[in-house]
Amino acid sequence: MSLRRVLATFRRLVQELHRDRRSMALLFVAPVVLTGLMAFVLRGQQVAPVSAVVVNEGGPAGGAIVGALERAMRTDGGTVIDAPDRAAAETALRDGTASVAIVLPADFVARLTAGNEPSLTVITPGLEPTADSQQLISLQRAIATAVTQALPDAGLHLPRLDPQTLYGTPDSDVVDHLAPVFLGFFAYFFVYILTGISFLRERIGGTLERLLATPVSRSEIVLGYSLGFGLFATIQVLVLLGWTLLDVQVPAIGPLASFSVGLAVPVAGNPVLAFLVVMLLALGAVSLGILLSTFARTELQVVQFIPLVIVPQALLSGVLFPVSSMPDILQAIARVLPLTYATDGLRQVVIRGADLGYGALQVDVAVLAAFVAVFAVLATATIRREVV
Amino acid sequence: MQSSAPSPAPAVQAIDLRKSFGEIQAVDGVSFELTAGRIYGVLGPNGSGKTTLIRLLTGLGRPTSGEARVLGVQMPSRPNLARIGYMTQSDGIYPELTAAENVRFFAAMYGVRDPGATDAALAVIELADRADTLVSQLSGGMRRRLSLACALVHRPPVLFLDEPTVGVDPALRVQFWAHFHELARKGTTIVVSSHVMDEADRCDELLFMRGGRVIAQGSGGDLRARAGTTDLEQAFLMFSGDGGPMA
Repeated sequence: MSLRRVLATFRRLVQELHRDRRSMALLFVAPVVLTGLMAFVLRGQQVAPVSAVVVNEGGPAGGAIVGALERAMRTDGGTVIDAPDRAAAETALRDGTASVAIVLPADFVARLTAGNEPSLTVITPGLEPTADSQQLISLQRAIATAVTQALPDAGLHLPRLDPQTLYGTPDSDVVDHLAPVFLGFFAYFFVYILTGISFLRERIGGTLERLLATPVSRSEIVLGYSLGFGLFATIQVLVLLGWTLLDVQVPAIGPLASFSVGLAVPVAGNPVLAFLVVMLLALGAVSLGILLSTFARTELQVVQFIPLVIVPQALLSGVLFPVSSMPDILQAIARVLPLTYATDGLRQVVIRGADLGYGALQVDVAVLAAFVAVFAVLATATIRREVV
Repeated sequence: MQSSAPSPAPAVQAIDLRKSFGEIQAVDGVSFELTAGRIYGVLGPNGSGKTTLIRLLTGLGRPTSGEARVLGVQMPSRPNLARIGYMTQSDGIYPELTAAENVRFFAAMYGVRDPGATDAALAVIELADRADTLVSQLSGGMRRRLSLACALVHRPPVLFLDEPTVGVDPALRVQFWAHFHELARKGTTIVVSSHVMDEADRCDELLFMRGGRVIAQGSGGDLRARAGTTDLEQAFLMFSGDGGPMA
């Protein structure tokens, strides 16, 4: 064991890494920026003021509570409208006039005064569970205030909340909400990595130089790449989509307990539309890969873009945290990320059951298509040949 | 190929061609006319501007000033690239494809419609028996030959070869030059760059380059006579004027 050789190896590594500015930035700057961003997203969460639609099925007695509830919500900065019945309330939820509906059942006051635990039905859209539960939390305080004000003698029997969702099944879980969104994220991520590395090889391997010495046009190259990686994205999305929807029950065999295969996510809408949304995103990723390969000299550097380009998108695009509760400045950033629109589009199709007649989905698809076009033009511009 | 119709325009023409990268004058006022069906050797040390000159002639770079013309068409011109073959310094072939797949791909890029073109190009460089071998399993010399096949598949009347024989063993080098002479005999204009003088005598005419300029042009014998020496390396130093070392 020679200390001199160990130290020489150590010194060489320090010299190399010290000159690799990008790796240095990645080691020290990226974690600070990313955790900072995450802290900003989580701490800066602004609970959107409650905009509720209230249905009173409890007659005049219920009216007192509803009145108190509405005053309490308004005091908290929320907006409240009345609806004659449940159907009208759901319409308000559907068209976005309200973000939560509260139904006071007929037996509410009777149960409350009798000392039985009454329940209030609250209906949320169910597209973004995190945003919904934030609304419920702010509601709870207003309800407690309202009940103690309207019926001071009722004691401590606070009403139980019976949460229901407009879209999705009542027993839908976290996976049902995350799986379709992750589908888009994975397609985006892997297509970007594959195209980026593949195109970088063209650049450093001399084949791009050679290609540009043939009559091929730059848009022909980008289009060819889109077709090629589009094919693999298609297969990947079909496999992932199948896995997400698959629900095969395998019966118990001997000592082996029964189990199910597949994520068994219920899809309210047409899976073909979900496929379309993901494919648009993947085509954008092809051009993004070509674009970013310009700024990389080695395959490692393409991978180094992941924490800089991909991870922030996962944080900001509503994959994990609802865009609506992020600080305003982050919402503005989210609005220029393609993944935001794919995430929303997938939720619209899978959970809400939207078809192309829905305005929200039309916007998502149109914006994604625009991203594909813009990225393709930018990618084409990075393929340099000084030819008109 | 096209020798039957004598064209008044030179096959390759440079008119006061200049290219600068910031402060550096990579090509500094080069003019020449190259005749069809001859082999031209562009000789000079590393960094003398050979590759930049070839990139300007193939339209991969836009000159800062001056003109590059190939077969009468001003470069850069995308359609004209179908009449130009270019073998880069690096092999520029796809390692995950087979030899034939590589040639077929470049044939398609050049717009070649003849389905026999791939086999013909592989036969010329004597790789027909390795057509279905992956490039990653070919030897260095075979890859060089395959790279040449990719530059030849569209039977271009003008062929630019950037250091084609670097890293090529002597036997293969002899083969390469035999191919080049055969192509020239059929009318192809060939421009070969090299930094080794021992290949110079295989060319019909030489262009000595130094500091981005062509310092002398003529046949090997002619240049020797003008320099008053039998050694081309000596002749190069004579024309360089400073008597300094080559590289």
